[in-house]
Amino acid sequence: MKRFIEPNELARDSRFIRQDNIAATILSTLPDDVDAVVAAFEKLDPIIEVGVRGTQAEALYDEYGAGFGLVTLNEPLDPKTTGQAARTRLHLRMHGIFVGELQALEGAGRSLWDFPDAPWEFKLNMARQCWDETRHVQIYEKLLEHVGGYAGMFPESTFLFECACADDPALRVAGVNRGLEGLACDVFRDMIRYAEAIGDDTMRQAIDYVLADELTHVRFGSDWVKEFTKDDPERFEKAQEFRRAVDKQFSFGGARSERADAAIPIAWDDRKEAGFTDQELDELRQISSEGPSRETMRKAARILQQRHQARRAAQPGSAAQVRA
Amino acid sequence: MSERLYPGTGPDERTHFAPYSAFDIPADLRQLHGRYDVEATARRVRNFRYAEEWLMMTMGGWVATIPELPVKTGLGKIIWETAQAADSLGKRLPELRCGRRAVASSESANDGFAAFIHEISAPDRPDQTIEKLTGAFDVLKPHLIEAYEKHARETDAIADAPTIEILEDIVRKARRHVAWGQEVLDRLCDTDGARDRRRQRAVALREQLAACGGVTGIL
Repeated sequence: MKRFIEPNELARDSRFIRQDNIAATILSTLPDDVDAVVAAFEKLDPIIEVGVRGTQAEALYDEYGAGFGLVTLNEPLDPKTTGQAARTRLHLRMHGIFVGELQALEGAGRSLWDFPDAPWEFKLNMARQCWDETRHVQIYEKLLEHVGGYAGMFPESTFLFECACADDPALRVAGVNRGLEGLACDVFRDMIRYAEAIGDDTMRQAIDYVLADELTHVRFGSDWVKEFTKDDPERFEKAQEFRRAVDKQFSFGGARSERADAAIPIAWDDRKEAGFTDQELDELRQISSEGPSRETMRKAARILQQRHQARRAAQPGSAAQVRA
Repeated sequence: MSERLYPGTGPDERTHFAPYSAFDIPADLRQLHGRYDVEATARRVRNFRYAEEWLMMTMGGWVATIPELPVKTGLGKIIWETAQAADSLGKRLPELRCGRRAVASSESANDGFAAFIHEISAPDRPDQTIEKLTGAFDVLKPHLIEAYEKHARETDAIADAPTIEILEDIVRKARRHVAWGQEVLDRLCDTDGARDRRRQRAVALREQLAACGGVTGIL
């Protein structure tokens, strides 16, 4: 078996449809500017359209065009909102976490194979993480069904696994155990708040257990970054830089930030308990606040939707064309 | 019948119990002396640990290359329990005069067994789940169970009891792993072609295993 695989080599059964990672990557680089967001997503339109075909996201694309991701990703889970849009947002969030856990399992497993000479304690931690992530996959598959969804209902982006592709174990754990698992802390704390607000104790309790595991995984990461980079400040700085890049990507523009309008607030207390330093948390505050605001994303989504509908109406055979 | 004395000299220290009266039941039928001395057992434990560690790493690598979701998630717990097996074997090594740093020591019995482990881990394509699981659950794990039970039978039952305890615990879990793996394989091999792939893979690996003498180099 070869060492070091690419994200597009992750094996999936026929239920899953792969989505190009480029939208998430580009979103992380955009400024807080409506025109820039619109221009970027118009360019991505053909790729996004191909990625959603045959999934539950197809209807969203037909309605909103390429900006559907901005509508769904950027809006928080609101316990007071009901109806199809709220349900779809919940399904998207739950499905995103489910495939994220799957990729975290694969990342931990690959760390065992890719670094055969790593210290035994590291391997033991990664083996434990494999079991934990396995349980998380099983939990989220059941929670997805619990809220009326199913595996494979949306396309899967493998941008989370990208941070498990570093060929230096120090960078790998910085990306997976501190970047990805740090994001998990933020998302799960938000999901627990949501479950409490809607009175769903099954969801609240299961995710609370998962969050407890994630704190342990962040601690694994903190310990191993220190161990792998001790007496090597250059390597330590590389690991920190990689973690910053992952944090930037995982902020989804500014959807995960400390802004009042953030869809996913940062779980400061959980992160502190997991071992993030004050300096790292200050960096995260800075990095995550640089992207487009929710208002910018909303405006961009409206423009993208109008243009999408206008293009549809102009197509031969459309209802508007037939009436004309 | 002679009376048993506790250490001491005073008559009030004399015990009234006959030696080995109630304590004979059940009788300890174990006998001293086994087939392996300390050095041999330490070497065998390193051999066992080598197999467990590499199988654990191999299954970790496979998870991303296996498309069937229940197989991915089924392997997760087995990876952890196989790592624990390697860990408990490693912790026995310092107790066998190998030094405190020996906890992470592994040793292949010979080059042939190392080549066998390499062959077990060779399949990495998504359409090779049958080849992957056959190597782990039809061949290697059953062989390890056999080797561990043989060691537990043949070693000094009293002096080497800590090794026996570790092996018994590993065997208990490994039997569950084998049952799971073989059930999955039975489901996957639902055509003559698939059953033939499983059979051929198992035959080839068993031949290689027999040629190198198995995990300890001696079958």
